Amino acid sequence: MPVLTVTSLAKNYGAVNALDGLDLTIEAGQVFGLLGPNGSGKTTLLAILLDVLHPSGGSFEWFDGREGGSVRRRIGGLLETPNFYPYLNAEQNLAIVATIKGVSDSALDSLLELVQLKDRRHSPYKTYSLGMKQRLALAACLVGDPDVLILDEPTNGLDPEGVVEVRHIIQKIAAQGKTIILASHILDEVEKICSHVAIIKKGKLLATGAVGAILSDQPTVEVGADDAEGLFQILSRTKMVAKITADTCLVLELEPGRGPEELNRIVFEQGVVLNHLVMRRQSLEAEFLEITRL
Amino acid sequence: MNPLHLIKLEWNKYSPNGTFRMIAILYAGSLVLAYFLVCKVGMNMTFNMNGTAYNPTLGLFEYPHNWELLAYIGSWMNMFLLGFLGVFMMTLEFSNRTLRQSVIFGMTRMEVASSKLAWAVVLALAVSGFALLVGLVSEVLTGSMLGAPPAGCALSFFLQALGYLLLGNLVGLLIRQTALAAMGYLAYVLFLETACRWACYFCIAKTRLLLFLPHQVLDSLTPFHFPDSVNHLIADSQVLANQLAPAEATMAALFYIGLFALLFCLKIVKSDL
Repeated sequence: MPVLTVTSLAKNYGAVNALDGLDLTIEAGQVFGLLGPNGSGKTTLLAILLDVLHPSGGSFEWFDGREGGSVRRRIGGLLETPNFYPYLNAEQNLAIVATIKGVSDSALDSLLELVQLKDRRHSPYKTYSLGMKQRLALAACLVGDPDVLILDEPTNGLDPEGVVEVRHIIQKIAAQGKTIILASHILDEVEKICSHVAIIKKGKLLATGAVGAILSDQPTVEVGADDAEGLFQILSRTKMVAKITADTCLVLELEPGRGPEELNRIVFEQGVVLNHLVMRRQSLEAEFLEITRL
Repeated sequence: MNPLHLIKLEWNKYSPNGTFRMIAILYAGSLVLAYFLVCKVGMNMTFNMNGTAYNPTLGLFEYPHNWELLAYIGSWMNMFLLGFLGVFMMTLEFSNRTLRQSVIFGMTRMEVASSKLAWAVVLALAVSGFALLVGLVSEVLTGSMLGAPPAGCALSFFLQALGYLLLGNLVGLLIRQTALAAMGYLAYVLFLETACRWACYFCIAKTRLLLFLPHQVLDSLTPFHFPDSVNHLIADSQVLANQLAPAEATMAALFYIGLFALLFCLKIVKSDL
């Protein structure tokens, strides 16, 4: 069942097309990544979906148009930076969100616990670190138990520990079966969290599908040996390697149907012992760069 | 969302804010202080005329002039403090980006606009109620017990408070930065409108229509009529000629309040946030 259908959505700022006829469908339960370089139109798209910006053309529909005017209260959103009243504490800020959503504030305690802010719930928002602000924003998104979460660069500006914490929370939320739309320019983040991905550049959709489908099936293999020259000669002669790239070690693209066990055996039989063998799938980064280069 | 929900929302946002509280205390304090000071000085003032002690201002403290005097003193607080409060409440939302966040959290743009308008009505009612209380307490303290304010005077005071709040809201919405918006608001009510009025008066037409500019209309809601005992001492007729009649001022104020509210709603509904 589609949660969101976007049809030919456009947004112009004068001569600049921030969105250029974008079409997209997101199904219920997907963790959908919007991936694109800075300025590609991800935030503009989310801002239109959240009614902060008016589109210049096209349309979008939540829940197949079945929800009417109350649709927005089934969606939790975090757009760019977290925005709260700095003089209010976490509880007071979340109570405002609960009033907006028209829900009781009895569940706020458990949300503060989920985002690990229960101990600081009485501190004013202005005293929070960026990571705490981001976690409070996630809690605010969850007020009223929405069906869809829209998260725009949720780990932006966080230190590595904060990134891990926020990702962990998002993964916990995703495990509850909620639909999550996550915009990011961090490929690793999308790869780790999302089930589906759309790649956007200059307001245009370049590719969309399951993360597994966007990723190439054919793995790459990194190998190394004390006799690096001998290893290179053997690999050059064998027909199981399609491409060799010399880096700090040798990076091999294997022919379809060939595996690292066979490679290891052949090299060993010819008198070279590998001291390094790592199998890597082609990263989303490589795929992303390849697609956005088009 | 029903209006009570919207008002509760605005109360939760603003009531803990330090600046909001400071302005509220300043409003209450300055109204009480100014009114009681004027009463104290005015009632004890004596002139010596032909060897007889004489207080020409006593009429100011007689019904209904006592309420007009209170409304007139309150009009300064309305113009400065409520207008600034209107500006501040809007720019606070923009500086914290919480107006757009409210939309992100699920409010419709019309609900956002309605909550601000409903809150302005509540504040205008609150200051009108407070002014009424000050007047009644003053009557009790002076032992005069002259009576409740004339309905027209109370309505005018409420409309004036609402008008300045909405004007401040509109300026805050258009300029968005607190310092600039506050300066813009004060410049308009203190200089710009008066300068425009006089420029038009001398350069374009000497028409009475110039009295129907927004600040002039709101100001005319709480005119200060000197009692007869004072009128002969000053050229009051000149002052009155520059003001609108109460009915004119009330109708024009209602028009401007509607216009400010309409522009406010249109701006919020139509613009990118």
